Amino acid sequence: MTSTFLLLGVFINIVVFSQTALKYLENQAQITIFFKDEFTEEKIKTYQSELHNDPRIMDVSYVSKEDALRIFREMNKDEPILLENISASVLPASLEVKTKDITQLKNISEEFIQKEGVEDVQFFEDVIQRFSVWSRTVYIIGFILVLVFLIVSYSVVVSTIRTSINNRGEELSIMKLVGASDEYVKKPFIYQGVFFGVLSSFIASIIVFLLDLTADKLKIFSDGLSLGFIPGFFISPLIFSLILCFVLILSGFLLGLLGSTTAIKKYLQS
Amino acid sequence: MSQIEFINITKQYGNFKALDNISFTINNGEFIFLVGPSGAGKSTIIKLLIREELSDAGEILFNGKNIKEFTQKEMPDLRRKIGVVFQDFKLLNSKNVFENVSIALEVVNSSETEIKSIVPNVLNLVGLTDKILSFPKQLSGGERQRLCIARALAHEPDVLIADEATGNIDPDASQEILDLLGKINSLGTTVIMATHDERMVDQMKKRVLRLDKGSIISDKKGGKYRE
Repeated sequence: MTSTFLLLGVFINIVVFSQTALKYLENQAQITIFFKDEFTEEKIKTYQSELHNDPRIMDVSYVSKEDALRIFREMNKDEPILLENISASVLPASLEVKTKDITQLKNISEEFIQKEGVEDVQFFEDVIQRFSVWSRTVYIIGFILVLVFLIVSYSVVVSTIRTSINNRGEELSIMKLVGASDEYVKKPFIYQGVFFGVLSSFIASIIVFLLDLTADKLKIFSDGLSLGFIPGFFISPLIFSLILCFVLILSGFLLGLLGSTTAIKKYLQS
Repeated sequence: MSQIEFINITKQYGNFKALDNISFTINNGEFIFLVGPSGAGKSTIIKLLIREELSDAGEILFNGKNIKEFTQKEMPDLRRKIGVVFQDFKLLNSKNVFENVSIALEVVNSSETEIKSIVPNVLNLVGLTDKILSFPKQLSGGERQRLCIARALAHEPDVLIADEATGNIDPDASQEILDLLGKINSLGTTVIMATHDERMVDQMKKRVLRLDKGSIISDKKGGKYRE
């Protein structure tokens, strides 16, 4: 049962990590609009303010020819031959646009390609879309696996308590014959189920916490973790890990309680 | 008011009629033998009385209350008022003599002080004080049956049922059990004893309820096994 809770914790982590990675990709410059040389900075800035007012847009920044040269130099600093004949005049000015929702990328790109002064529009549609599909798949599979693991854990508790009841069957029937109430017979099994669930989930929680602690030390998610169901919300990996451990232990408690109650109820009814 | 009343009780297992419209009453403090051949209905009467099973027709009243009306929550209370001693003992082999008796008190959440006071008393009554730390497997058949009686007495029941309680023990031990049941009865507890032991029934000269094929064929005070 510990391994079940461990897998549960690891899958929840994978789901959250992939959501965070997706959010990170989404937050990178998503569309770059390049302008023709003759298109003036003033006109580009008009487009910039139009985009600022567009509700679909999260952020837009202007990259002048000089900025483009600086970026180009930075990117190719190890290749001096490439940098020899390059000047700001040959590089285009551009606007880097981030949308709130990546499904808007294509629309905005298509709108701008037809506009006056626009040379080209580039965006990493394939990469982001592919990652989005992958992340959603992980989310769905993770969710299904979490449900499966919860059912497995529940079944483990029920069968463990049933085995325990069968081993003590004679004792229980004698207890009933000498006047034990149902509550009296139930109690030790419910305690056993709860103890079993909490202990298993506690051990799993420690392992999950250590894994998350390692991820935190490596600073893999320096901006925090994104919870897919709360847009724009980031949480420290350690706080997330503590919440996850609490959820795992609570699940262990509830599964132990529910499983043992079901098992003993069936025995008493029979 | 009678302590126990069986009113037109019928119990059927498939096509077999274990009890066929029988009626009788038992008064407080009586000693009654249930006799008859195997399958006559003796054990069925006991099972119905402790509500291990329910009758198909008729009413069983215990202290004026219909047994069928006892709720699941009231059942433990009924079982504390009616102590049962079984032929196969039903003892916990992993627990010693003291623990086998104390379990009857633990299940009703008796305090440790109560347990420490009641258990030695009932063990003294059945003559097992010197075996208090022995385990059931270290006891003779008669001693095991006395231990069962001690456990049944822990709740100070109104009624003590002995279902073929001497069936698995030798004649000397049987006599001891019979003497013990007589002593318990003299202290005011109603005793119902189902038995095949003719000698025992004839010796006691108590009320004898004779059954055959689910019907009462005789009910005599101071009766004998074959009368």
